[in-house]
Amino acid sequence: MSTVDAATGADAGTAAAREREDVVVGDEIVRHKRSARLVHGAVALTFFACLLTGMPIWSPVFGWMSGFFGGLAVCRWLHPWTGLAFVLATAAMTLQWRRSMAFEASEKGWLGPKLFRYMRYEEVDPDVGKYNGGQKLFFWAAALGALGLLASGLVMWFPESFPQLAREISILLHDVAFLLFAVAIVYHIYLGTAAEPGTFRAITRGTVTKSWARLHHPRWFREVSGGDSRPR
Amino acid sequence: MIPQSLEIRRSSASLKGTVAGSREVPVVAKYVDTSTCIGCKACEVACVEWNDLPSIPTHQFGSYQTLPTLHADFWNLIRFREMEVAGQTTWLMRKDNCMHCEDPGCLAACPAPGAIVQYANGIVDVNPDACIGCGYCETGCPFDVPRIHERTAKMSKCTLCVDRVSVGIEPACVKSCPTGCLHFGTKEDMVELGAKRVEQLQLAGFREAALYDPPGVGGTGVVTVLAHGDHPEWYGLPRDPRVPFSIGVLKRVLRPLGMLAIFAAVVGAFAHYTRFGRKAPPNDGAGERGGRAA
Repeated sequence: MSTVDAATGADAGTAAAREREDVVVGDEIVRHKRSARLVHGAVALTFFACLLTGMPIWSPVFGWMSGFFGGLAVCRWLHPWTGLAFVLATAAMTLQWRRSMAFEASEKGWLGPKLFRYMRYEEVDPDVGKYNGGQKLFFWAAALGALGLLASGLVMWFPESFPQLAREISILLHDVAFLLFAVAIVYHIYLGTAAEPGTFRAITRGTVTKSWARLHHPRWFREVSGGDSRPR
Repeated sequence: MIPQSLEIRRSSASLKGTVAGSREVPVVAKYVDTSTCIGCKACEVACVEWNDLPSIPTHQFGSYQTLPTLHADFWNLIRFREMEVAGQTTWLMRKDNCMHCEDPGCLAACPAPGAIVQYANGIVDVNPDACIGCGYCETGCPFDVPRIHERTAKMSKCTLCVDRVSVGIEPACVKSCPTGCLHFGTKEDMVELGAKRVEQLQLAGFREAALYDPPGVGGTGVVTVLAHGDHPEWYGLPRDPRVPFSIGVLKRVLRPLGMLAIFAAVVGAFAHYTRFGRKAPPNDGAGERGGRAA
């Protein structure tokens, strides 16, 4: 293992983030190694491909989106394939990230009061590890949602091979799953960019600052640095 | 027949809803008397010929019926049902084709603007240029009529020969019927004709004879005289066809609600930003720029 000079800072961090994560490099900490960032990138890309090919079919209000692909008929043809790609990417992400996304006993209240306190910036918990309860909830909800979209999507892909009841349930399930996803993704992107500065770079170049880690994930900070997690 | 207008009364996935012309156009209907159908299949041939449909290889599957079910290239199928009624063997023929519902489930389910239209005269038609082949119409139809063509990926079904009707002549199937069990005219006239025939049948001993014009879909553009009107399912007709509940939920509840939810989520994120600002580490450059950081 090579030691990286603290003085070289950022570049050393991104270099280290190719292969490793959860290590301190100078003033930064590597949060996501390259393969994890690529998997997340694949999920994001295929998600938007699904969104843009699916929403014009969902409602004519979004019919203009079909223009990017050459019309609604192309969207109907393309959407099942982008959907399949999204499910595969999500499956890969679920496999790769599942261990660090395991729930802990202290994360019980996240579906209710803790989430609201967190959004009001009132939640102060020195025991937050690499991911907080909300992130874990979103992660598993996305995995479950992708499964629901796959099951219903297959029925809608080949409607003639399934009985009427299955088709009707699938149309509804696909819609509900999409809507939950759409609403959740708005906040996923908002929290990862505008609301919490310093977060987005974790999924692009792989590193975060020490002070970011101390604020958002104090226990993870202690674990990787062995240092003091009290605010400076 | 007076020439029918091709004004469009309703169009699938249309945000504007109904586009009615100012002229009043009579609603048309086809009358089918199952009690005088002899199963000659002249109407099947006439349909295939007029609509220039390719012939489909047929196989003997234990019935006189041409095909087991409708096909994207076969829009009019006489169904044969042999059964015992009151100790007598009877043949129940039924003309299986698009019913041209007043409230069409296929049109309600269709997500492609203008792919399924209902003309002012009540005929429900497909525009293959706009059809995307998704198959929602198959789910929306309570009569199992629409078929997606495996080669073109477009839906096709009986058009009630709208190309003939619009120039003032009856559909090809009606033209070809040798027994007079098929008639074509205004819906009003066809219902009247049906009522007379039902009366005749009741006098002749078929006390349960009835005219099949199901109110669950607002009535149909094909009215059918059934000698055993209390058992439409004997003929393969649903007792109380309706546009599937799920299609209504999808279009009237989930879509507006979903639109609102997505809009509210975006507005909510903006509102959150103005109220709570950023959550940034105190010593980071990003934190200094603004927001009330925790």
